[in-house]
Amino acid sequence: MSEKRNISLLHCTVNGKERDDVVKDNLLLADYLREEIGLTGTKIGCDGGECGCCTVLIDGVPQHACLRLAATCQDAEIETIEALAEQNRLSALQRGFHEKLGTQCGFCTPGMIMAAEGLLRENPNPNEDEIRQGLAANICRCTGYIKIIEAVQFAVDELDSKGKAA
Amino acid sequence: MEYMPNFQLHRPATAEEAVKMRSDNAAALYVAGGTDLIVNVRRGIEQPENLIDLSAIEELKSVTKDKDGLHIGAGVTLKEVAENENILGKYQAVAEAAAAVAGITHQQYGTIGGNLCLDTRCLYYNQSEWWRQSNDYCLKERGDIGHVASGGKRCFAAFSGDVAPALLIFEAEVDLVGPEGSRRIPLVELYQNDGLDHLTLKPDELLTAVHLPKALAGCPSRYEKTRIRGSIDFPLAGAAVRLKMKAKKVNDFAIALTGVNPYPQIVKGTDDYIGNAFDDESLDKLRDNVRKQAKPMKTTTVAPWYRRRVIGALARRLTEELAG
Amino acid sequence: MNEIKPTKSIGVRTPLVDGPEKVSGKALYSADFNPSDCLVGRIFRSPVSHAEIIDVDISAAQALPGVKAVITGDETDETFGILPVARFEYPLARDKVRYKGEPVACVAAIDVETAQKAIDLIKFKYKELPAYFTSQEAMAEGAVYIHDHREGNIEREVDFELGEVDEGFEAADFIMEETFNCAEIAQVQMEPHAAIAEYDPTRDFMTVHASTQVPYYGHLMLAKTLKMEESQIRMIKPFVGGGFGCRTECLNVELICALVARAAGGTVRIVVSREETFITHRGRPETDVEMKIGLTKDGMITAVDYKAIQRGGAFSGYGVVTILYSGGLMFGVYDLQAVRYKGLRVLTNTPPPGAMRGHGITDVRYAFESLLDKMAMELGIDTLEIRRKNLLQGPKYETLNEMFINSYGLPECLDWVEKASDWKKRKGKMGLYKGLGVACAHYPSGASKPVNWSGEPHATVHLKLDWDGSITLLTGAPEIGQGSTTMATQCAAEVLGLDISRFQSLTSDSKLTPKDNGSYSSRVTYMVGNASIDAATNLKTILLEAAAKKLEVKPEDVECLGEVYRAGTQDEGLTFNEVVKAALEGTGTITVKGNFDTLPESWGTKKYRGGAISGSMAYAYAAQVVEVSIDPETFDITVVKVWAAQDVGKALNPLAVEGQIEGSVWMGMGQAISEGTQYHNGLGITNSMLDYRVPTIVESPPIEVGIIESIDPHGPFGAKEAGETSLISFIPAFTNAIADALGVRPLDLPVTPDRLMELVENSTSNKKAAE
Repeated sequence: MSEKRNISLLHCTVNGKERDDVVKDNLLLADYLREEIGLTGTKIGCDGGECGCCTVLIDGVPQHACLRLAATCQDAEIETIEALAEQNRLSALQRGFHEKLGTQCGFCTPGMIMAAEGLLRENPNPNEDEIRQGLAANICRCTGYIKIIEAVQFAVDELDSKGKAA
Repeated sequence: MEYMPNFQLHRPATAEEAVKMRSDNAAALYVAGGTDLIVNVRRGIEQPENLIDLSAIEELKSVTKDKDGLHIGAGVTLKEVAENENILGKYQAVAEAAAAVAGITHQQYGTIGGNLCLDTRCLYYNQSEWWRQSNDYCLKERGDIGHVASGGKRCFAAFSGDVAPALLIFEAEVDLVGPEGSRRIPLVELYQNDGLDHLTLKPDELLTAVHLPKALAGCPSRYEKTRIRGSIDFPLAGAAVRLKMKAKKVNDFAIALTGVNPYPQIVKGTDDYIGNAFDDESLDKLRDNVRKQAKPMKTTTVAPWYRRRVIGALARRLTEELAG
Repeated sequence: MNEIKPTKSIGVRTPLVDGPEKVSGKALYSADFNPSDCLVGRIFRSPVSHAEIIDVDISAAQALPGVKAVITGDETDETFGILPVARFEYPLARDKVRYKGEPVACVAAIDVETAQKAIDLIKFKYKELPAYFTSQEAMAEGAVYIHDHREGNIEREVDFELGEVDEGFEAADFIMEETFNCAEIAQVQMEPHAAIAEYDPTRDFMTVHASTQVPYYGHLMLAKTLKMEESQIRMIKPFVGGGFGCRTECLNVELICALVARAAGGTVRIVVSREETFITHRGRPETDVEMKIGLTKDGMITAVDYKAIQRGGAFSGYGVVTILYSGGLMFGVYDLQAVRYKGLRVLTNTPPPGAMRGHGITDVRYAFESLLDKMAMELGIDTLEIRRKNLLQGPKYETLNEMFINSYGLPECLDWVEKASDWKKRKGKMGLYKGLGVACAHYPSGASKPVNWSGEPHATVHLKLDWDGSITLLTGAPEIGQGSTTMATQCAAEVLGLDISRFQSLTSDSKLTPKDNGSYSSRVTYMVGNASIDAATNLKTILLEAAAKKLEVKPEDVECLGEVYRAGTQDEGLTFNEVVKAALEGTGTITVKGNFDTLPESWGTKKYRGGAISGSMAYAYAAQVVEVSIDPETFDITVVKVWAAQDVGKALNPLAVEGQIEGSVWMGMGQAISEGTQYHNGLGITNSMLDYRVPTIVESPPIEVGIIESIDPHGPFGAKEAGETSLISFIPAFTNAIADALGVRPLDLPVTPDRLMELVENSTSNKKAAE
């Protein structure tokens, strides 16, 4: 007897592009992004929700792609690290992580940046404590977090001066 | 590519539909945010054939206020609970407990209903399939021996939800919807002292809402947990305290604990303090009383005696703080 | 015209050359390669700690549709391992299994579900043997040997006495001893182990991408276990998500992946789980240290006598080096005139440790610095001052084991932390539950003798100059996040006076880049940096000659200004592109080579067997002050602030040096406050990122970094080690701060709140009242 094929039709938006895919019911969002679509920027660093490497935005909210089933993202808007660069330029957060050395090995970086992105959309001017709380579910093993905080502060300042200029 | 067991996903639009789907399908489980359940599915602890995803049920996602009090849908996220203006200050411990769950990312999609129905946890249980198999499983799952205490006849897996004790001190009630209709019970009756089976839910019953009584709104309260790290960790021990003082004497007083027993429990004996003022001696007695009622076992890497010591210290400290 | 200047690269805060790929999600790590025909590999692991293998029945697994290969220990009878003296590990177990989780079989299948089903169909029959999970159990009388050729389960015993130790203790006014236990530590680099192996049966050719710090050693072991010619294997290290030593030796993951790919005749990817990454281990061994120090009444060290016992797991890995480092690296920080050491590396039925950041010396240094601190407090000597009193004396900095020390910035490190932390005003005066502690450490800049002695230079860098005017730096040195490629580029750019944007780099591809031993023991900056300087100097010579010919002057009359080469200040000169064209005319694209070799003077002592291990061209030094605050009721410990000074010789890239020091301090903090593996009958019970507690951003402290530049005479522009030393100094500085705060001193690591509470309560005279 062949096993029951449990599949769903998934309609969602990934990085601004609408998609319709047939997905297995048990497919994790992280694997949908990485293995089915080829967006390998989203990383998997643990066995479920413990490291934050897979953090993506779902309808603007940071969530673990390794604990969400893809088929539950019906009509959702999903954003990954690959979507952040605008008009061929790294985003302010990405520049912050690069220029302030908020990234060393780079493996936690996509999740860290997406968590920070979620934080800044909600609170464009966080203080240090708010930055810490906003990144509290993301582990980095290289930096000791000092330069990650500086990276986010860099982006806050950039966005702030851009806002003022406008 | 992560290995996942094969299951069918159902996405009901109403609670009623969810209950029907669960009773119509074999080996079915509800999943809300999934911060706990999907981890257990990935580890083979749960092997559902059907998964009823509650995230599309809009009716579970609102917080409303009326003459009776505050009504929180089971699907409301922990972050919303932590930031809701009708909870902050009014049921302060509830907001603090929600903000203390795991890390911020978990709070953004983990739900209050999920946190209340969290499975109990144990070092010998929350492990991979290979690990548990190599350890002959355990009482709680496919095995016939408990690894926590000698003899191995009982399961001591600890309830580790943060929000339950905070709701218990506010005498919260919960709505349960099942195949035979719905019922409302005091939250305290949702739990029983059994690590194997700590929820009193009937087959296929779904927790749909939490009610906080108006009478207690604004009553001073706090929640604090002990954990090794500042984030992500489950509580090694957590205490919620609600205390109303009148003319420097105790008027109304409740304490509830988490992380130290298979169920979140209300501390007995707090009524004895009513009408009295606190002093060092009575606070010490309170601390010792809390310690006596907590029975943590070796379910975490941190020593049980420490968790018992610290739960007393937390309860004492919060009480002293609230007494002013 | 006169304003044209060569571009400065050294000493300039330089973001990593591969940073943009990392922040944009474009960087590809091993698990990110997924060709359409790729099979999924999964490993069957031993459920028992120690057993004779009776049978591994794979017939049902092989018969499952979709399964392309199932292999067992029968696949290869060749062992692997990092040290030629201790190479007795098979990629897949043969005859015996020796720890829970040891790979026994591997499946390659069309998808993960099929692979898992096949794993479930494997029948493993075995006869259990007694298993030992602690050093003491394994060394006990009558214990069966985990390896037949290692009597008493001792992997290596080290004994030496340098100087007159008994006389030293006789001369002492004050002698103390103390026993320390340091938990086993895991690296928990963010990227779980992964490999993808592509076997081309038509050419009998193997291409492997793997998450490794040592692609060259991996290459060697692939050839050995596959029994293929090295030339038939291409080893590539793509982006790697950290290492900290766990990938400093070839791991079974990449070998199994290649073996199963060949068996399947195709491409296989193995991405192991976080739990399996913990099981693969190669972390810091659990270490017991018995430390004894003799002091004169004014605090001068007269003798040191100590013993280290390391729980070495089921295989040696780097174990022999670790236990030797624990001895040899006692020297070089302070002026020690008499030292006796006994080291025991014990085999146990637990996963094998390896060479973690701060390799070999971290736990021993902790014990030494803790006991010295305690003795200073008892003698009423300031704990920073006692360290100052015992510093090495220049200009020769001689040590009993003949270390090659030519730069020693430790005094300046102590001065810096003393001032920055306001030590004199605050130490000992912060009241109960608050405290300051200080400690020192050092670490080599690469081992002067490589693991595999083949006679080749320690480092080789190629620079390829092409008609487009770009320079490609080719190095085998594995960039794993530490910034080595940026460093090598800066070194070459500085010599040539060019902006680093002129450079591209290509790293760690055995078909393209020159061989390099790998990223370990802090060797890369020193060795590869020097090789890069050498290569750039050679290229510059060619460019100067070409410019001279074009300008019709002598090469020594040509001045290189980076983008301009000219003969005299009045000369308009030639642009770099013009010089490049002149240089390539007639010869075509050129590749120059640069080498680095260590000096024989740095090869370490011959006074005892294994003494060469701790020989290095230079040592970095650190002093650190840690401030703690302790909750009187829960005994939660807050690290309030850290002042970390490190003598890095020269900060080639101050941004990256800060990043390395901050990361080191913080990783030391993890070991001190919350990390440690635990086992339940040999099963790792903390093999997740929930129960193995790597610190989060919430409790991580502010760290103020003081960079001290002693300019090592042989280092690249004076540079030395930057990425390990400050890990070592954190741990004792932290427990010394707790001793300052509470008056009791934790000895065992990690210092979790439960342990601290127990310690305080055991130390109070009225223990009953505390209950």
